[in-house]
Amino acid sequence: MTTTVDTSLPERFRALEPWVADWDLATRVERYEKRLTKTIDELQDFYDAIAPLAEEAIAYLDTRDVNALSGEDTRLLRLLYSMIMVSYPVNIFKQPRIPDSGAAFFDTAVEPAL
Amino acid sequence: MAIQEKLATGRGKYTPGYPNLDTGPVDYEDSISEEFFQAEREAIFKRTWLKVGRMEQLPRNGTFFTREFVGLGSIVITRHTDGEVYALHNICAHRGNKVVWQEHPTNETQGSARQFACKYHGWRYGLDGKCTYVTKRNEFFESLPDDELAMPQLRCEVFAGFIFVNFSQDAPPLRQFLGEKLATELESWPFEKFTNHWSFRTKVKGNWKIGIDALLEWYHPAYVHGRFLNTNVAEAEKLVPPMDSYHYDLFTPHMLTSVPGPPLLKKKEGSVGPAKRDMNWAYRLFRAGLFGPDDVREDLGHLTPNRNPGNVQSWSNDQYWLFPNLSVQLWGRGYYITYQYIPETVGTHAYEVDIYFPEPKTASERLAQELVVDSTIEFAMQDTNTVEATWSQLNNRALQTFHLSDMELMIRQFHKVVRDAVAAHQAGSEK
Repeated sequence: MTTTVDTSLPERFRALEPWVADWDLATRVERYEKRLTKTIDELQDFYDAIAPLAEEAIAYLDTRDVNALSGEDTRLLRLLYSMIMVSYPVNIFKQPRIPDSGAAFFDTAVEPAL
Repeated sequence: MAIQEKLATGRGKYTPGYPNLDTGPVDYEDSISEEFFQAEREAIFKRTWLKVGRMEQLPRNGTFFTREFVGLGSIVITRHTDGEVYALHNICAHRGNKVVWQEHPTNETQGSARQFACKYHGWRYGLDGKCTYVTKRNEFFESLPDDELAMPQLRCEVFAGFIFVNFSQDAPPLRQFLGEKLATELESWPFEKFTNHWSFRTKVKGNWKIGIDALLEWYHPAYVHGRFLNTNVAEAEKLVPPMDSYHYDLFTPHMLTSVPGPPLLKKKEGSVGPAKRDMNWAYRLFRAGLFGPDDVREDLGHLTPNRNPGNVQSWSNDQYWLFPNLSVQLWGRGYYITYQYIPETVGTHAYEVDIYFPEPKTASERLAQELVVDSTIEFAMQDTNTVEATWSQLNNRALQTFHLSDMELMIRQFHKVVRDAVAAHQAGSEK
């Protein structure tokens, strides 16, 4: 079924499937917006789920051509981008937004396609 | 001994080495006065070379982009069929309509075109700004000239792939303005190889100079960004390198500071170990941090003999401040950042952060870039928020003069250069 293919990850990383719906996001803008919609507990849950698999996931992706990633591999890479996006809140801020940044927000004018 | 302590050189204060700078309190009227703001726009922004973009934004002949500068106007930057770069005032010679825009007249746009057509009455212009066609020409009169109609050109020069414009016809050429030292040191960086680009923009409620001040000193990191370093401020302070470990070179009106940073990680061997809720673990996992990726690409040739001119120990980056409003920061770990501050009113400016890496060869290289970008923006948000807090109070004039430490000598220099430029212009126009 097409829908199964669209949401799947490389086989070794299928345990991360429940996180695809929220965190398989194509742009940094979307990842930052998602971060702000979550509680710190939710960000921690995602971080705790992906962190133990992250080293293996990076090693796996490094065996692939970064300019010709399959849909599955792209999805895994985007989950790792999202792990980076939540890492400061989880590891340092203990809240989704960086402290003392209330009025500040950056619009993204350009970001790489991948 | 911590690396920070090892970096201390024991040299004396820097500011007294620049006798023109004085060491007394500084008056911030130049940042809050509407009158000064108008004078500054005339004396500086209408007469100095301003960066408007990079050549990568004009990838082929026939490409263009627009820039909207509040108070200065809209500009179209084009690459003509002959490869020449032009900057044009975005105005129709007929009745002054903006020529190049899409949907919303105040939004910037880009694309490719053989010529521009005014949306109002269909007059057409070449990419050099010359009017090529007047619709219903026979309805005009003898006074309509044949070959002078144009979107007026501004002066435009390209240096190291950066496109600069100047609203004045009298200013010295760009390279002369930059000076041979700055030009040579910057030019040796292979900017054209750094094409993986992120661009962030925001509007800041504060005078543009207050925005620049925030990045001209290394006094604030332990306080503004303390939580990145250590929640205990006393511990965070120890992680900021001592004043004398930085290199300063004030070659008026431009400036350079070179900054130390943490040593590179060793090449990865084995596992980073079990997952932790710990940023240092995340830095080791992605092999990157605020100072850049840990696995430095050796195929770029960016560490030329011109890097680290002050021989800073454990050198991290060279931060060039090009008067009036651009910083180009060259990082030893193989990327560069530009910061630009564009005044809009006395109390607001546009702030642009652009981060450039080489195209990644692997997923892990790309992930390291992502972490560097995220770190940079988290820090930048705290900085801009602090700028807004500062300006909101400065503007009250409850206090008028402020004491700057030796750590803040570049702020002293920056405001002096601005004030001197305004004074010189006013003296010249009163003659």
